[in-house]
Amino acid sequence: MADAETGAGVEAGERDLTMSRAMVEAIETEMRSDEDVFVMGEDVADYGGIFDSTEGLLEEFGRERVMDVPISETSFVGAGVGAAQQGMRPIVELMFADFFGVCMDQIYNQMAKNTYMSGGGVSVPMVLMTAVGGTYSDAAQHSQTLYGTFAHLPGMKVVVPSTAYDAKGLMHNAVRDDDPVVYMFHKRLMGLGWMPAPEGPKTAVPEDEYTISFGSADVKREGSDATVVTLGLHVHRALDAAESLAEDGVDAEVIDLRTLVPLDEETILDSVAKTGRLVVVDEDYRSFGVTGEIIARAAESSLGDLEAVERVAVPDVPIPYARELERAVLPGAEDVEAAVRSAIDE
Amino acid sequence: MVSANDLQEMYENAVTARHYEERLQEEYMEGKQPKFDISAGQIPGELHLAAGHEASGAGVCAHLRDDDTVTAPHRPHHVAIAKGVDLEAMTAEIFGRETGLSGGKGGHMHLFDPDVNFACSGIIAEGCPTAVGAAMAADKRNTDSVAVAFLGEGAINQGGFLESLNLAAVRDLPVVFVVEDNDWAISMHKDRVTDVETAAGRAGGFDLPGERVDFNDAVAVYEAARDAVERARAGNGPTLLDVQVHRLMGHFMGDPESYRPEADVERARRLDPIPKLADRLRSEGVDDDTLEEIAARAKERVEDAIEHAKEQPKPDPATVQEDVFTNPPSGATDEEPDAGGPTAAAGGED
Amino acid sequence: MSEMAGDRVAVDSGDVWPADADDIAEGYVATWFAREGAAVEAGETLCEIQIEKVGVDVPAPVEGRLAEIVAPEDAEFERGDVLAWIEPG
Repeated sequence: MADAETGAGVEAGERDLTMSRAMVEAIETEMRSDEDVFVMGEDVADYGGIFDSTEGLLEEFGRERVMDVPISETSFVGAGVGAAQQGMRPIVELMFADFFGVCMDQIYNQMAKNTYMSGGGVSVPMVLMTAVGGTYSDAAQHSQTLYGTFAHLPGMKVVVPSTAYDAKGLMHNAVRDDDPVVYMFHKRLMGLGWMPAPEGPKTAVPEDEYTISFGSADVKREGSDATVVTLGLHVHRALDAAESLAEDGVDAEVIDLRTLVPLDEETILDSVAKTGRLVVVDEDYRSFGVTGEIIARAAESSLGDLEAVERVAVPDVPIPYARELERAVLPGAEDVEAAVRSAIDE
Repeated sequence: MVSANDLQEMYENAVTARHYEERLQEEYMEGKQPKFDISAGQIPGELHLAAGHEASGAGVCAHLRDDDTVTAPHRPHHVAIAKGVDLEAMTAEIFGRETGLSGGKGGHMHLFDPDVNFACSGIIAEGCPTAVGAAMAADKRNTDSVAVAFLGEGAINQGGFLESLNLAAVRDLPVVFVVEDNDWAISMHKDRVTDVETAAGRAGGFDLPGERVDFNDAVAVYEAARDAVERARAGNGPTLLDVQVHRLMGHFMGDPESYRPEADVERARRLDPIPKLADRLRSEGVDDDTLEEIAARAKERVEDAIEHAKEQPKPDPATVQEDVFTNPPSGATDEEPDAGGPTAAAGGED
Repeated sequence: MSEMAGDRVAVDSGDVWPADADDIAEGYVATWFAREGAAVEAGETLCEIQIEKVGVDVPAPVEGRLAEIVAPEDAEFERGDVLAWIEPG
């Protein structure tokens, strides 16, 4: 099985997949080859997942391996931890990342800490997959990404795919990893019939299995005038911004983090050394999160390389319902473009 | 036993709610055809309509006052209407307008009307602890206000509900939990995710009275709710009511309900609470002219609210960061009084 | 039974119409997975169409080459319209 470090490493097949189908393809391949892999979540069976993350799995694997569970996040997320500690490989779905509140103890105090608290005695080979993100007026309790919250707390790997190709490779790696992996997929990128995706997440996907290592950011667009570091939906917003900037001769480099934990610092710092201008774009709240972290790391290691830094993020405000208000808080391509221009003007 | 007045009020609330949901469905779907795009149209996002649930809202709220608190889940319109929520402001909120209940910030899953102590929320069962808290306040202040938490049968497996039952019971709080059992938690039938036959079965385990009300019957709900609310007002503690209702539409607008057998949908239509309530009114001597008058008034009220909402201005994006706090940090540093301790001796803050 | 035109086989929207959507006459193309010119296997999912909020996978009726996509993404069509042509072989 090939290990793909970048998009160019493996020969692409002749078919494209939506991000949801790429995720499902990885899950079903893992389930076929390992009896210990099973899926648990709300509406994952007949419904195939509210965001299509388990579409078609019930038919092939049945209700014992594709389990609908009661609305009892603490108990079923915790059950995932327990089963994983017994050597199984559960893929547990938290329907919306926003729901982490009701089961956070099982996530950050049990799943993330048992390996350490046991001095390496136990492992928790579990995937916690969850839907994130706004852009469709689902308001404050159903639109968050919460990347910073999960990345901040020690003990769990955090994965954020932005394309179908990345989604499949990262999911294969997530299931095989002996550590807990929080796999955060953006609803707008899934390719749902009722929430059309932008151009970008649907890509060619090899039919064979392959993994993408964690801690390997992907330069989605090379450039020499500014470094734009981002993840998830905003990889595509940044690429749109880069296209617009190119018309004015501004050449932006877009780095897709792909994983927050572990974080690929090297790719970021190499780029900053090249461009001197660091723009970080995040669909999570501005304060105490991803944008601050990336800039802090650059400042710590490469202060001399930095001429300008810019943050583009959601202000510290619950996400509002009305379309005009939601648009005012979620960064758009124009905001990324403005930040790049601002970095260049400094 | 139910007074003629209450009967008519329940009927009017039920018919208003039904018409409201049917009209919202139309308004919601406009702009989303032929390709269903959840973010398009005048009402974007996930809309959960309560057609078929009317008996529960009408029957329970008939016993409530403005100072009684109600919390409801994501499918709340029938409860809001029966509770007396400002329909114009609620509709404006659903349409995301500036004069909506929350200025467009909350939307249809987060409707707050403090004037009648109503709020709904999108996280399953999380309205239960809030209702318990309102009951706690009433208890501490020695008023006879009560609190009512509505929830779905899927929510009875959520920790927040179970903890609330115990907290209410051990402190004898004036709260009524109303489970609206429509069999389905999105696509999960209750038989597959809950072991007790009915939610009322949980009550005994927490040492509070529980009652199951079958058949989607507003008057039966009314009678059970009267006992529960009276019990609470008298200081005799909480009750769990388990009300059978039926979902006439999908879980959310856009749900194709492929998981739901056609027979189940037909059953929901057969057990429609509104014709049953109309029959009850007729048997109490109310004539068809009166029933039609009530229905016409309900329709007019709904149409007015929708027309009004559409005329409201959209929110100004410049206001998006307001209302995070009641006391927003001012940014200015307050003068601290001289503590007279070591800091002062060392020269102080300046 | 597959429609033929010359030596090409039609990918017919009517062949995959769900039984419970009998009263619905139109749909639209949500996503193409196979690319024009690609080699396809019989039964391979070529695209997803949406009929009244339900997604339906459209399989290749025969093995061959996806010669022409008639209905691209977002295109609306009526029941029985040809979505694409396959050159068998």
